[in-house]
Amino acid sequence: MDLNYTPEDIAFRKSVRAWLEANLPRAPLKTLDERRAWHRRLYEAGYLGMGWPKEFGGGGARPMEQAIVADEMARANAPAPTNGLGLGIVGPTIVVHGSDAQKARYLKKILTAEEMWCQLYSEPNAGSDLASLKTSAEDRGDHFAINGQKIWTSGGKVADWGLLLARTDTKVPKHRGITCFLISMRQPGVDVRPLKQITGSSEFCEVFMTNARVEKPDQIGKLGEGWAIANTTLGYERGGRSLARVTSYASQYHRLVAAAKKLRRHGQPLAESPVVRQKLGRIWAELEVERYNALRVLTQLERGEHPGAGGSLTKLSYSEFEKRFNELALEILGPYGQLTEGAPAELGLEIDTAVGEQGTWAYAYLWSRAGTIYAGSSEIQKNVIGERILGLPKEARADRAGVTR
Amino acid sequence: MNFSFTEDQALLRSSVRSALDEQCKTDHVRAMMDDRLGYGEPLWSEMAKLGWLGLPFPEQYGGAGLGLVELAIVLEEMGRVAYPGPFFSTVVLGGLTLLLNGSDAQKERWLSAIASGRSRLTAALQEDSLDWDPASTTATAAKAGAGWTLSGTKRFVPWAHVADAVLVPARAPEGLSLFLVNPKAPGVTLTPTRGMDLTTRWFTLKLDGVSVGADALVGAAGGAGSLLESALRRAAVGASAEMLGAARRCLDMSVEYAKVREQFGQLIGSFQAIRHKCAEMLMEVENSHSAVYYAAWALEAGAEDAAMAASVAKSYVSESARRVCGESIQAHGGIGFTWEYDLHLYFKRAKSLEVMFGDAEYHRELIARLVAA
Repeated sequence: MDLNYTPEDIAFRKSVRAWLEANLPRAPLKTLDERRAWHRRLYEAGYLGMGWPKEFGGGGARPMEQAIVADEMARANAPAPTNGLGLGIVGPTIVVHGSDAQKARYLKKILTAEEMWCQLYSEPNAGSDLASLKTSAEDRGDHFAINGQKIWTSGGKVADWGLLLARTDTKVPKHRGITCFLISMRQPGVDVRPLKQITGSSEFCEVFMTNARVEKPDQIGKLGEGWAIANTTLGYERGGRSLARVTSYASQYHRLVAAAKKLRRHGQPLAESPVVRQKLGRIWAELEVERYNALRVLTQLERGEHPGAGGSLTKLSYSEFEKRFNELALEILGPYGQLTEGAPAELGLEIDTAVGEQGTWAYAYLWSRAGTIYAGSSEIQKNVIGERILGLPKEARADRAGVTR
Repeated sequence: MNFSFTEDQALLRSSVRSALDEQCKTDHVRAMMDDRLGYGEPLWSEMAKLGWLGLPFPEQYGGAGLGLVELAIVLEEMGRVAYPGPFFSTVVLGGLTLLLNGSDAQKERWLSAIASGRSRLTAALQEDSLDWDPASTTATAAKAGAGWTLSGTKRFVPWAHVADAVLVPARAPEGLSLFLVNPKAPGVTLTPTRGMDLTTRWFTLKLDGVSVGADALVGAAGGAGSLLESALRRAAVGASAEMLGAARRCLDMSVEYAKVREQFGQLIGSFQAIRHKCAEMLMEVENSHSAVYYAAWALEAGAEDAAMAASVAKSYVSESARRVCGESIQAHGGIGFTWEYDLHLYFKRAKSLEVMFGDAEYHRELIARLVAA
C-alpha cells in the first residue's frame, strides 16, 4: 500500500496542467463547431482515447494517466470533449468486441469527433428490465431492418451513429435473443425527437425507427451476444472519471462554504452555526471517502483487473452521495439555490455550461436525481451486489425462463 | 499509487485471522466476559510470540518494525472476533504514544517490555466532562522537588487494572504535560465500571497527590497538547479499524444467515428487503475499509492530509459500523436479539468504540475546522 503518486505521475500531471493553462478556451464554447474544435485539440494533445490501441488512433496510456487528465480538466474547469458516449461507451465496446474492419472504420472518427455517437438501449417498457427490449432487427438478406422505439438517448439530436441493442430472436429466453449493432442515425427510417426533462432542458431524445437499415458488417459480435456485450461495456471508463468527479465536487464544495460565510441565520453566519458545520463536515467526509474509493478502483485498473460487479458498489455509493451533496447545497443556499436565473454571480457553479447545462445549483440539484436511475438504478445495483458479490439467492421471478413475444 | 495490500500484508492478515479463529473463539470471548481480569494470559503470550505486541516498534526494542497499515490489519481482525484484552490500550494508546514522544530510556524500558509480553500500558484520556480536546484537561501536576504531584479524576480508562503504567495528562505550571503513572502507587484509586460491552473493561482512576519522579514526564513539560492530538488521531484510526472488523463480521453473518433461513417457503436472501439491506451494508463496509486504510497509510506516511483522513475515518466508520451491526440484528430477526447468538458481541464492541477518541460529531467539527475554517 503506497498512496503516493509516482514521480512519473507527478511529472505527467504537471505537463497536463501546463498544457491546459496554455490551451484552455478563454471564452465559453457556444456552438457545436467550437466544441468540436476543442475536442480535436484535446485529441491532438493525446488526451482522448488514451487507453485505446495505438494502431487505431489511441494512446496506449495507463489508467492512471487517463485519470490524471480527467482530474486536471476538472480542476481547470475545462469544457468536456464533445463525443462523450463515443469515447465512454461506443469506442471501448468496439475496441473489445469489434472486428478489425470495424475498428479501422469507426474508432479514429470517434476520437476526432468527425462522427458523433449515441446509445440506443432503453425503451419505454424496458428500463430496469432492459433485457425485455422489443425493438426488432429482422434479417433481410443483405441488411437488417430495425423497427421500434428507444428512449433516454443522450446526444441523439447531434448523433451521426448509434450503438443499438435489438432483438434478433424471439424464441429463446430474453437475454439470449439480443444482438448489438451500429446504426446510422442519418437515414429516413430514424426519427429523433427531443425529450424534455425535469430540468427543463433536453439532453435526451426519443428515437423512432421504422424499417431503418443496419448493414450486415455493422453487427458487433455474434447474433444473440448483445446482452453480454452490453453488460461488459456498461461500466467502461467509470473508474477513470471517478477521481475527476470528486475534484469537481470539491470545487463546488468550496463555493458552498464561501456562500455559508455570507448567508446568515439568527444574526450569525451559517458557517459558524454548529448545525451547519456538522452537515458541512459530514458531506466533506463522504466526499473524501469517494476519493479514496476512486483510488482503490484506479489501483485495480492499473493492475489490469476489471472491477466487474464491484462497479455496482462504486456507482451506488457515488450516485447516492451526489444527491445528498446537492440536497445539502440547496438547504444552505435557501431560495438562492433554487434560482435558474438571476442568482448572484458568486452563487453560480463552476461547471461546463455549453451542453445545455445551466451553471446553477438548481440545475445540479435536479440533475442529481438522474444519477441513481441511469445506467442501472440504485435498486438494480443492489440486486447485482446481492447476487454477484454476496452470492445471495436470486429472487423468484416470473420471467426467469420466459420467452419474449 | 497502490491502494492494495502487499503480499506480506495479506499474509499477516491471514495468519492473524487463523490464530484468532483458533484461540479467540466465541467460547473464549464469553469466558473472558465473566473472568475477573477479562483477558487470557496464554493468548497474550502467544501474541508476544507471534510478534503482534511489538508490531509497530523498531527492532531495537524487540519489535517487528512494521507500520500503522499492518497494525490496522491486526486491529480489524481483533474487531472481527471481539477480542477481549488490553491489546489496543497497550500497543496503540501506550506504545505508539511512547514511540513518538518518549525518551530513549522510556522507550527502552517500556517498548521492549510490551513487545515481549511482560508489560501492559494504557492511557487516561478522559475526565468527567468527556471532552476529547486535550485543552479541557483539569487534572493538575504540582512541582515537588525534581518530580511532580498529580491530582485529579480520569474516566473510562481502559484495562487500567492490568496496566503497569498509565499515561496521564495533567496541568503543570509549564502547561499541559503527559506523565507515566504507576497505577499501584500510593494515592491512586481504581474503581471498575461495568459497561454493556463486557469484552472491554473501563475504570475510573483517581489521583490524590500521587508522586512521580522527573523521569515520569513524557515529552516536554507543557508540550503535551500536540502530542495528545497525534496520539488521539492514532487511537481514532485504530478504533475505526476495530469497528470495521466488527461490522464486516456482522455483514458476513447476515449474508450467511440469509442463505439458509427460510420464510414463506423461500430463502430470505431472495427477498429484496433483505438483499438490498445486505448490499447497503456491504457498501458501508467497503467505504469504511477505504477510510480506515487510507487514514492508516496517511498517518504512517506523514501525509499532508493525515489529520483530515483520521477524522474522516472516525466520523464515517463510527456511524457506519453502528448501522451495519444494528442492521445485522434486524436481518436476523429474533435470533439476533438473543444473548446466545454472537451478534451482540460485535454490536456492543462497535458501540463502545464509537464514542471513544471523539465520536462522529466531534470529528466532523474537526473536519469543518480544516476545510471550512
